Amino acid sequence: MKSSKKVLATLTAALAVTLASGAALAEYPDKPINVIVPWGAGGDSDLTTRIWADAVEKELGVPVVVINKTGGGGIVGTSFVARAKKDGYTLINAGLSNMLITPNFSKTPYNFDSFTPIVKMTSVPLAVVVAKDSPYKTFDEFVAGAKSTRVTQGSWGATSSGTIQANIIAEQMGYKVKYVHAKGAADSMVSVVGGHIDSAVSFPPAFGPHVKADRARALVMNQKMDAFPGVPTFADYGVKGSFEGWSGVFAPKGVPQEVVDKLNAATAKAMKDPKVLAAYQNIGAIVDYRHGSEWVNDMKVTYGIMKEAAAKVKK
Amino acid sequence: MFDNIISGFSSILAIGPILGIIAGVIIGIIFGAIPGISAIMAIAIILPMTFYVDPIIGITMLLAVYKAGIYGGSISAILINTPGAAASFLTAQDGHALTKAGKAGKALDMSLFASVTGEMLATLVLILVAAPISLISLQAGPIEKVFLLLFAFTVIGSMAGESLPRGLLSCCLGMLFAMVGMSTITGAARFTFGYTELMGGFTFTPMLIGILVMPEVFNVIKRRLVPHHEMTITHSPNPADNRISFKEFRSVFSTILKSSGIGTFVGALPGLGSSTAAFIAYGEAKRTAKKPEEYGKGSVEGIAAAESANNAVCGSSMIPMLTLSIPGDDVAALLMGAFLIHGLTPGPMIFFEHTETIYAIFAGFLITDLFLLVIARSGFKFFVKMASLRRYYIFPCVTVFAFTGAFTAGQNMDDILVLIAFTVMGYGMRLVGLNPAVFIIGFILTPFLEQNLDQAMSIVGTDYYLFFASPFSWVFIALSVFFVFSSMRVRRKTSNTSAQVEDKTA
Repeated sequence: MKSSKKVLATLTAALAVTLASGAALAEYPDKPINVIVPWGAGGDSDLTTRIWADAVEKELGVPVVVINKTGGGGIVGTSFVARAKKDGYTLINAGLSNMLITPNFSKTPYNFDSFTPIVKMTSVPLAVVVAKDSPYKTFDEFVAGAKSTRVTQGSWGATSSGTIQANIIAEQMGYKVKYVHAKGAADSMVSVVGGHIDSAVSFPPAFGPHVKADRARALVMNQKMDAFPGVPTFADYGVKGSFEGWSGVFAPKGVPQEVVDKLNAATAKAMKDPKVLAAYQNIGAIVDYRHGSEWVNDMKVTYGIMKEAAAKVKK
Repeated sequence: MFDNIISGFSSILAIGPILGIIAGVIIGIIFGAIPGISAIMAIAIILPMTFYVDPIIGITMLLAVYKAGIYGGSISAILINTPGAAASFLTAQDGHALTKAGKAGKALDMSLFASVTGEMLATLVLILVAAPISLISLQAGPIEKVFLLLFAFTVIGSMAGESLPRGLLSCCLGMLFAMVGMSTITGAARFTFGYTELMGGFTFTPMLIGILVMPEVFNVIKRRLVPHHEMTITHSPNPADNRISFKEFRSVFSTILKSSGIGTFVGALPGLGSSTAAFIAYGEAKRTAKKPEEYGKGSVEGIAAAESANNAVCGSSMIPMLTLSIPGDDVAALLMGAFLIHGLTPGPMIFFEHTETIYAIFAGFLITDLFLLVIARSGFKFFVKMASLRRYYIFPCVTVFAFTGAFTAGQNMDDILVLIAFTVMGYGMRLVGLNPAVFIIGFILTPFLEQNLDQAMSIVGTDYYLFFASPFSWVFIALSVFFVFSSMRVRRKTSNTSAQVEDKTA
């Protein structure tokens, strides 16, 4: 009888140990994390995410695998994650376009609300640029010019962040431009420098090399940047409701808070690593590590701007 | 520029790129030598595998498959008289005659040496002229590019095969399918019928495999009763007949040089392609030959002329593709797609935005020739054995590669549906005589044309005369007109010969 009690006690102890270790195993993360990039390999979003994945992998101790799930203009990959298990092992690379613009302009099976924002890695300020030999030396001159003559402006699609931003500025400053849509901001810059169009909305990775080579000039930007001294901001001209591009990581809505905290802590450490910062600099990205409620509110404001812009287009 | 080339060599001479080239050469020779698989199919099958590596490795590997595949085509042409492509038709005539005479080794050697020399020379020309041409073409704005692209579309004139209307229809179909998805200009959804999956348009890789590769598998099933040809290298008791001596090589060297020159020139002009180059060079060599009566009956010189011209096209067809983003033939169109997938947009900017990558790829081109020479020379028997595998081993493997390749590109099950849909369509196109290669050209060029046309329209506003204000526009209008007329003439001239070729290759 006594021995059977002893056996029972041992069993109970063993069970307790198993349970305890089970709980320890279940601690996030205990298996590889997949980050879906809804765009092709080698693009800006993909590179931004890969640098992040490599960096947090070391902090988290599990592989962070980047998967390019492309198609449907980013919709296929993004809706895949919206429907994924809310366990923190399937994440999405989010940006201005697939999170805030596409849901407003197309019918998408997901919305901004379908996700829990985790972290923002980089931001991409927008700017208005002209060629070096352009008659417009300042933004004021540009505005005056656009009010009196026909001025062409390069952008990349009527529903692109560039055009939406440019429309907001033009409306508030009271001028009009004729958009010339290229495949991307880099292609527009070629047309600006070649003298085929008068101006372009653009962002630093696209116009930076041309400005540095003294072939182009930035007239006005979202924010001050050390790389482009003396360029005024939209706010200086009293423009309200300007926004910029960004790249971040989101999880499906309803993911445990533990996941958000762990990923944030890992990113916070990674973003102090000079190697990571150098990697971002190499791809021309501006590190802008943010998380938490203030950031989420900013995004909600931008989402509202996009909603308004979409309503105007649909009218 | 020379420091660019040297830095190109330093980035290509690493384990990864070299392994990629070796793998590409081996795969290319085997696939090229298998009757029924052409170089373009080999590239389509290998394309998805290159997504996981650096563009330098991926692109050089594809180019190695291309070059080796074109060369591999001459193996089956020589040994069993089945030219994989029209370009090897002439090689088959002279080469197979030599094989029957027991001199297969001689024919294979000659074909290899001529191919490598032709490719090497064309590549050198490519490296020397590409950057200067791109400097000029960089001046072209959207208006000039519209005419440039119209010029590019004239290639379908000579690629269309026997029926020009069917070629034009194939191109229009390609243009139609290219428009599916979100318009990059207005953001409007076109031809999506409410399916968000179609917002991004049809994915290139699965569509390509569906159109180009899978229908050939069905063709093989259809022709399953055609007897299997075992390839063997015939041997002659006289060792001099089994190889090419240095003296023989030197005696045909001037022919090789001349034919390579013809091949390089023809390849650089969009739309003429490798078979035109081979026919012109062969004709020229025959005209100036000391013993023209030997041509077609086992002339080593004939093989040298045809193969060096045909392979020179590989290198020089990259010139219009890389400097003007005009794909000169179907393979160049496919490679242009591969460049795009790897994030490199062919066109003048590639020399400024991706200087290192592009020169590394050039260096890889040159090194590929050396590897092709060494690998092919040391393993004739192996390649012949691999290429003689029964069809029921080869084509199921091709099918598996096709499906996994279509999926891995985007990890998206919809892509498998795209593959199946386009397989049906590709097979259907062949049944009614539509041209799949022209379809691909239309599909690839349309987004560029649309984008530039829209930009040009925005720039000119209501001043339509601006379309004709630049001398560039006139140059490309003139070139387009010239090409349409000349390809019509070439079409009439070669219609008899090509009919013969079709019979042989079918």
